Amino acid sequence: MIGQTLDHYRIVAQIGEGGMGVVYRARDEVLNRDVALKLLAGGALEKVGSGHLLREAQTASSLSHPNICTIHQVGQTGNDYYVVMELIEGRSLSELFTATGLSMETVTRYGAQIADALAHAHERGIAHRDLKGSNVMVTAEGRVKVLDFGLATRLDREEISELTLSYSSLESKLVGTLPYMAPEVLRGQKGDHLSDLWALGVLLYEAAAGRLPFRGNTGFEVTSAILREPPPPLPATVPHGLAAVIQRCLMKERAERYQRASEARAALEALQGAVLQSRHPSEETRGPRTLVLRGMEHLTVKNGDVLLLVGTNKGAFLLRSSRDRTRWDVAGPYFHGQGVYAMAYDGRSGRHRLWVSTNSLMWGTFLRSSDDFGRIWTNPLEASIRFPTESGAALKNIWQICLGRSEEPETLYCGVEPAALFESRDAGESWSLVRGLYEHPHRPRWMPSNGGLCLHTIVPDPGNKERMYVGVSAAGVYRTEDGGNTWQARNNGIRVVFMPEKYPEFGQCVHKIVLHRSRPERLFLQNHWGLYRSDNRGDSWQDIARGVPSDFGFAMLMHPHDADCVYILPVESDEFRCTPDGRLRVYRTRDAGGSWEALERGLPQKGAYETVLRDAFSTDSLDPAGIYFGTRSGKLYGSRDEGKGWKKILEGLPQIVCVKAAVIQMDGAPAARPYPKAKAAAKRKTPRRKSVRRGKRR
Amino acid sequence: MQVIFNIPGPLREFTENRRDVRVEVKAGADLREALLELFAAYPGLRDRVLTEAGEIRGHVNIFVANQDVRYSGGLATAVPARAEVSIVPAISGG
Repeated sequence: MIGQTLDHYRIVAQIGEGGMGVVYRARDEVLNRDVALKLLAGGALEKVGSGHLLREAQTASSLSHPNICTIHQVGQTGNDYYVVMELIEGRSLSELFTATGLSMETVTRYGAQIADALAHAHERGIAHRDLKGSNVMVTAEGRVKVLDFGLATRLDREEISELTLSYSSLESKLVGTLPYMAPEVLRGQKGDHLSDLWALGVLLYEAAAGRLPFRGNTGFEVTSAILREPPPPLPATVPHGLAAVIQRCLMKERAERYQRASEARAALEALQGAVLQSRHPSEETRGPRTLVLRGMEHLTVKNGDVLLLVGTNKGAFLLRSSRDRTRWDVAGPYFHGQGVYAMAYDGRSGRHRLWVSTNSLMWGTFLRSSDDFGRIWTNPLEASIRFPTESGAALKNIWQICLGRSEEPETLYCGVEPAALFESRDAGESWSLVRGLYEHPHRPRWMPSNGGLCLHTIVPDPGNKERMYVGVSAAGVYRTEDGGNTWQARNNGIRVVFMPEKYPEFGQCVHKIVLHRSRPERLFLQNHWGLYRSDNRGDSWQDIARGVPSDFGFAMLMHPHDADCVYILPVESDEFRCTPDGRLRVYRTRDAGGSWEALERGLPQKGAYETVLRDAFSTDSLDPAGIYFGTRSGKLYGSRDEGKGWKKILEGLPQIVCVKAAVIQMDGAPAARPYPKAKAAAKRKTPRRKSVRRGKRR
Repeated sequence: MQVIFNIPGPLREFTENRRDVRVEVKAGADLREALLELFAAYPGLRDRVLTEAGEIRGHVNIFVANQDVRYSGGLATAVPARAEVSIVPAISGG
């Protein structure tokens, strides 16, 4: 070919060869410029038909973008088709990977340019379908140029199986393509914008780690890894943010990838900003690394693992980590579309039972459980929590699931809306209404709050089987001293800002009550306006809101080991129920409310108008304690050092209404309270409650 | 007489995946009696269609022969022989 002329292009030299044909440097004799001319291989045309290929090439030639190699002309001479394009002087990414390795800043910069090129093409309905290292050139100035948009032919199923079987003996073209192919393409689907984003993930992984994510000695092994294996962990030198972008691109489920290249571009550009600022590490980038692996169907939980139960208004999620709490596996959503306002883990008596309440707008509220960390959930035929028919009341929602004292391992409580307390003495098999509270003479005068008239907080006294506290909105704190037969309002000193009488006997809108098991006589309370402590079992309350930006808030948390340490998440006011000044700060007292300090390292301090609801705040029992909270905007934050430093664990969830943490103690490991094995075994023989058990996550 | 109930997707796990369920009901029955027969055959439906107070859930619509029972007597609506009764979730949500 050298020296020949096609139309007005004089072939000067061969510069490359690929599956699509041979690429030459050519001279455009009319415009007096050098171009690249690809003479298309006959085989490629037979496969798809020349008309189809030409149409695609013509469409691709409409793309004009600084990071896309421009197609000047598509032509035919005799039986030969050729594509004339911009001549790019530089090296391909695959050459750069092997030659030098790339700095993380370079990877991010190139990645953003590739994503920008994809975004431009995708917006015009053009997918690349064969993005790989050899199709991305980098010029001497460091500009990325993506080649061959729209030129890839579609591999049919037979070719894929051929590719799989004879990988090692194949030409470089297909060997180069297979490791970049998305799972759905391997299953025979036509490549599209989402499979381009997968390929971008492979490219970024390769650039960051210096090796391909899915490897094998045979095509079968590579294919199998792509379809089934998670990518191996990235080296520790890869920044968390970049790792998260790569992981998102490499989600096997298409719906879990970025849905647009522009989202990937934005994420990479944001990282570029972070990399530039890294000489002065921002609060957000310091602290422990957190890696999140999303998209698992179910968790595999081992002894000593930390489990996070996350309830949202559209379903539940489960997270698992080892004790170091740096890497979280995420499963869910469970109970698609249903509100999950209450969750609990019951590890008493050798059980490993998750409890959830599911609230469907149409079909009602049910209490459900799983004994295998979410693989199978009960779905009772009949609602186990129900108001007696003669009461005329109907259950609206279950706001709280609370375990009984450790020496009563079969006892559970539920707080519900309309405000009532239910208890179970048989580990949740059957439930009964606590009538002493339901028939309380104050009840007709309780007023519904914003969330309805609900009983949302249950605090059994750990040292006294007869004593228990509940929080009802808007009725206040009630205490029983006789196991639930009679209840007394215990709101002395708690102010009601929205009533003419400021210190009534009841009518307070309490938001949360906590106590520490080592000092059960002392209670802390977050009110609808007001932070309080009681040193006498709720008989009287003192204001402890000194040094907090607002004494309005919903969530309150007791430290698991320190009876003087309480956490809150203040919001600005009842009118503006968001973090004050757009700063997301947890406040902590370590002297039982004498003073409060802000904990903000790693939390956004600008433009973060967040709300944390009353049950979306939890702690594990490790030392140092892990602290976790979720926001209405669907972000989950965690600290593994008691609040000194925070990391965003997850974002993009539906509105988070419940977060519960637990440390899993399996058989053989010392349980919180030893329980006779014989009894646990006997228990299993009793018939299961009448219910449908199912493996699906609905 | 026979009444045909149309079961919505989310409830079919309680009707062995059946979309249409035929239930034998005594002649002249109203909707309440017809539903009782349905619930006897498929107990998982009861608490999902009615509240424990015995009312049709607020976001569930029941149609007897294409007529929304909310406007035709509620649970006392007469069910003619071979009538189709449809249980339909309201189009609502947030």
